[in-house]
Amino acid sequence: MADELNVDVRKRHAGGPEIAAALVLRLSAHSVTVLFGPSGAGKSTVLRMVAGLDKPDEGSIRCGGEVWYDGARRVNQAPQKRRVGYLSQDYALFPHLTVRGNVAYGAHGLGVEEVLASFALTDLAARYPRQLSGGQLQRVALARALAAQPRVLLLDEPLSALDAPARLRMRADLRQLLTSVQMPAIVVTHDRNEALSLGDSIAVMIDGKLRQAGAVGSVFDFPADADVADAVGIETICPARVVSRSAGLVTVEIGQARLVAVDTGGGSAEVFACIRAESVTIERNPPGNPTSARNHLAGRIVSLMPEGPLARVVLDCGFRLTAIVTRQAEEEMRLREGERVTAAVKATSIRIVPRG
Amino acid sequence: MEWQALWLSLRLSCWTTLILLAIGLPAAHWLTFSPRRWKFLVEAVVALPLVLPPTVLGFYILLAIGPHSPAGRLYATLTGGMLPFSFQGLLVASVLYSLPFAVQPFASGFAAVDGRLIEASWCLGVSRTATFFRVIAPLSIPSIVTGMILSFAHTLGEFGVVLMVGGNLAGITRTVSISIFDDVQSLNYAAAMHTSLALLGISFVVLAATYGLRRRVWAAWPMN
Repeated sequence: MADELNVDVRKRHAGGPEIAAALVLRLSAHSVTVLFGPSGAGKSTVLRMVAGLDKPDEGSIRCGGEVWYDGARRVNQAPQKRRVGYLSQDYALFPHLTVRGNVAYGAHGLGVEEVLASFALTDLAARYPRQLSGGQLQRVALARALAAQPRVLLLDEPLSALDAPARLRMRADLRQLLTSVQMPAIVVTHDRNEALSLGDSIAVMIDGKLRQAGAVGSVFDFPADADVADAVGIETICPARVVSRSAGLVTVEIGQARLVAVDTGGGSAEVFACIRAESVTIERNPPGNPTSARNHLAGRIVSLMPEGPLARVVLDCGFRLTAIVTRQAEEEMRLREGERVTAAVKATSIRIVPRG
Repeated sequence: MEWQALWLSLRLSCWTTLILLAIGLPAAHWLTFSPRRWKFLVEAVVALPLVLPPTVLGFYILLAIGPHSPAGRLYATLTGGMLPFSFQGLLVASVLYSLPFAVQPFASGFAAVDGRLIEASWCLGVSRTATFFRVIAPLSIPSIVTGMILSFAHTLGEFGVVLMVGGNLAGITRTVSISIFDDVQSLNYAAAMHTSLALLGISFVVLAATYGLRRRVWAAWPMN
């Protein structure tokens, strides 16, 4: 318990969903937790409650042995006492201070030059924020937060203020910085790629509720329900009915089509079948050669959409199934809208989640 | 030409501006950032001198600081003197009369400071008071200067309140505007002309200097 950040808060506010979030962050782990979810899910509000900028209605926030907030005991520590490094979306650098002035602001004169040097800001130290690029502003904001020696970093959509090319570049840089500063961090984002590249663990928030938490890979591959599956970008999510279960496999029915999947549905008869587009392969001819894929579905191409080197193919197999193929494969197989093809999906690539 | 009255008016304006800086900054801070629901009532009270006739304001101030009022008695026990018809009494009246001219520009300047900067300061461990001096006030300097100029100019030109509270004692409460009124009453137009011209000149120079200086200072100000 001693080195955990323990958040369990509820808050209602006008014009948004009721927020209820419980999460635990190990402070010793130096790991990055991504608070992920669509816009308006309440992620930023949770971060602001941890920072002490918004007050929850009830619940508690504890950090190590300290109580930061306790609704029942009417404890609410000021942000000044919590020592969190909070970065708002637009970095909020003080416009009337130089880079050095900003970094020194909360540092009590300690280690300012070292921090400037470690963020490669020594050459920019005499500049004002308006003279810096978006990426530089972000470095200054991080340096300023770290110079005040926080116990945990809280980053609210740290890349959203940047334009698209800078965002890509800073994503890698930010991951490296977060790793090098040896500080536990919570990063709020609605971007799947950012979540994947920045986070060690992830907590998915939808409509104000924390729906699933765990390692980034496992949450993306094994969403707990259809909403989380949708949030983490699984293209095909179809209501299905269980026909039979045997030997760890489950057969489900979607309209006329039948699919065999690894059974993770928790015993319910009404389920969702979730299939990532990457795990669907397309075959030109009716299946003759045996493959390891358990499921072969005859379908018609509804739409073909190029996406860079890839193409997104939507099939009508009695239900809408999305597949991703390379442009090269699209050319070789001469895929056209309206044509009949066969889709193959491995049983292990179909995630069955309970419905209702 | 009434040098004595002119000097008195300038002293009164300087002291009023300084006192308004000292009480106007915290008052404006409270009005801007307090979550109290009834603060609109305080705002209305602060703005009253803008609409009340100076004679009404002066009359109430005279009652409030008179020898029979609690404030007047307290002042008498502390200093042995009386507030009405004294420079100190005039100062109290001037401060109240010019209060909105200081507080309103201050408050609008504070309100324009980005709230995220203030929150950033708190999260960096800096107290609310220190945040005021290190972030809010430096970013509001144009508004603070504006409030000070307006207070100074407004006090320099006040008439009705001064007459009600201070009367017309040479060297003590006879301000430049009262001396002009006196001169005109006694048909001494030449003296009135000279004093008026001096007041016009001083007012113009003060305003021109501050606006000119402001332009140069703000051009180099990192905000722009």
